[in-house]
Amino acid sequence: MWTWFHKLGSPKWFYDISGRWLPWLVACMAVCLVVGVIWSLLFVPQDYQQGLTNRIFYVHVPVASISLAFFPLMAIAGTVSLVWKMKLADVVVKVAAPLGAWFTALALASGSIWGIDTWGTFWVWDARLTSLLLQFFLLIGMISLRSALEDTDAAAKACALLSIVGTINMVVIKYSVLWWDVLHQPPTNFTVDNSQPNGPEIWIPLVIMFLGVYLFFVISLILSVRNEILRRERRAQWVSELAAQ
Amino acid sequence: MDQTTSATSKQSPAQNQAVLLQASELFCERDDRVLFSGLNFSVSRGQVLQIKGGNGTGKTTLLRMLCGLNQDFEGTLYWQGQDMAEQEEAFHSALLYIGHRVGVNKVLTPLENLRWTCRLQREVSDEQLMSALAGVGLRGFEDSQCHALSAGQQQRVALARLLLSQATLWVLDEPFTTLDVDGVALLENLLQQHAARGGAVLVTTHHNLQIPGLEVLTLG
Amino acid sequence: MANAHTSTFSAFKATLKRDLLIAYKRKNDVVNPFMFFLIVASLFPIGVSPEPERLSLIAAGVLWISALLAALLAMDNLYRADYEDGSLEQLLLSPHPLFFMVLAKNIAHWLVSGLPVVLVSPLIAYMLSLPDGSYHVLFLSLLLGTPVFSLLGSIGVALTVGLGSRGLILAMITLPMSVPVLIAGTLAVQQTQNGASLLGFLAIMGAMLLFALTLAPLASAAALRISVN
Repeated sequence: MWTWFHKLGSPKWFYDISGRWLPWLVACMAVCLVVGVIWSLLFVPQDYQQGLTNRIFYVHVPVASISLAFFPLMAIAGTVSLVWKMKLADVVVKVAAPLGAWFTALALASGSIWGIDTWGTFWVWDARLTSLLLQFFLLIGMISLRSALEDTDAAAKACALLSIVGTINMVVIKYSVLWWDVLHQPPTNFTVDNSQPNGPEIWIPLVIMFLGVYLFFVISLILSVRNEILRRERRAQWVSELAAQ
Repeated sequence: MDQTTSATSKQSPAQNQAVLLQASELFCERDDRVLFSGLNFSVSRGQVLQIKGGNGTGKTTLLRMLCGLNQDFEGTLYWQGQDMAEQEEAFHSALLYIGHRVGVNKVLTPLENLRWTCRLQREVSDEQLMSALAGVGLRGFEDSQCHALSAGQQQRVALARLLLSQATLWVLDEPFTTLDVDGVALLENLLQQHAARGGAVLVTTHHNLQIPGLEVLTLG
Repeated sequence: MANAHTSTFSAFKATLKRDLLIAYKRKNDVVNPFMFFLIVASLFPIGVSPEPERLSLIAAGVLWISALLAALLAMDNLYRADYEDGSLEQLLLSPHPLFFMVLAKNIAHWLVSGLPVVLVSPLIAYMLSLPDGSYHVLFLSLLLGTPVFSLLGSIGVALTVGLGSRGLILAMITLPMSVPVLIAGTLAVQQTQNGASLLGFLAIMGAMLLFALTLAPLASAAALRISVN
């Protein structure tokens, strides 16, 4: 009975609910991003050392923090999908991998651009960038595993399992890369805000950018989940009714 | 598309001790195609149940579901009256499965192959293994590598397990395909003896089995 | 009835013996990864520089990466033949915990593909001018680290065993996951050269091995159940 409920009930329920929430979420995101971008890129006082480049900080930090959330997210969704065989959870596991790869790529790119001014080169084997790069590779591996397994049930289980294994592994990778980094270069590392004044004129726009980017993440996730639901349920009646409207 | 078959018995599992395996309301679909739904049947001691059906009707899928190799289905399986999910170890100790791919490694000899598959279940001595191989007509081939054997002979290596097995339920997927006339007679005989001993057999084949008391479940 | 059945331990032994026997009969599968290790390691002096000073700087990394690639190359044999001939189904249907059966196969696999690489590593290290005091560190760290490669690789192979084109996917899954071992192994060699204590590094690698020994076969077993469908 429960499997039946999950199988037929959940995706449609999610589709309806998310459809009602989406306009509000998009409106909030638009406000946050517009205010945040204008404030942080035009009005925040320039850093006396780094100058204008420092402002990419306001994009990089929220994006990087989101991209760290993808593996835990997939592990939780994967566990739910393995244990309760919930189809919606598998949809999340599936769409989170490419989305995570994009966010990770964005974090890597913005980090590199920031690095041009800070380090004088766009790539340095810094601990954070290296573990993001490894995360990117693992996500690409997950995407290709998913696309190679044609049978959707087996693909769902295999990717759920890999997302759990991958999350445990990512934790070990993060700490070992940190350790590697510390031992390879003396700890005169560039930290994020060693010379910055920490007043409200710095952190309020940052909070707004965080909100905006998080909302952007939630909305992209919801949109891709909705897309995938429509694709999977294309034979269901409610989808054809929807298409007929 | 409810399927009623000659093998259907609607007894409650606990009432009948002879019922080994019972399947209740099995539903299975592959690639948006329903293979079967509302499928009920049971296998009791002393019974040989042949599963028939055209190509693609899900015979192999059904056998693999019953063994626990395939878990993408809905419905419940009972082993000796209890839910299969809680009985896995007991069930696997009482099960002998020979699939399409018979589980015979090509570089090992028949003796080595048989030794391993048997020892996963129970201790057997080399004399027993040799006599089982002789029993399926492989005397003289015990020590040649399996890739030198014909498909029928490889099938016989797998079937030698039947002679050594103490399992009560045999699940055999197309065991007759590569066998010659002698082999078919031998296997039919083995199935009959197993049923007479109080075992049960589930077998898929297109072959017309010459076994008294045979029951047939037709899919599709 | 109960004592007619084998204990899990004897089923474990039977599986271990069987896999070693298969490896003995298919010597190519044993020799190829080993030769691959030698070839990859000897490409570095050709590609980078034959000067002993330069080589000695990269020797540890070269050996570790070659060992990782050799382990990856050898992985494919682990379940493929059993998947194709149906033996894997028999393994899944045995009344014993699949964890131990998978562990037996992993141990057998490491003994024939990992151990030879570890044993020959001092020789290659000599050819790559590894500094004198580092041989035992390299040997011990490879001894602890290569089983982890096998255990991690086993998960990837188990997930992809049913696929036609699995080589690249396997690499993309397994290589990033192996990074922590690579880091610990190469750091052990480099840092002990700078006077750090060996024990700490061995402890960390031992912990990684124990962690992998307890969790990886579980994941491999689950992956096999998914792949054999």
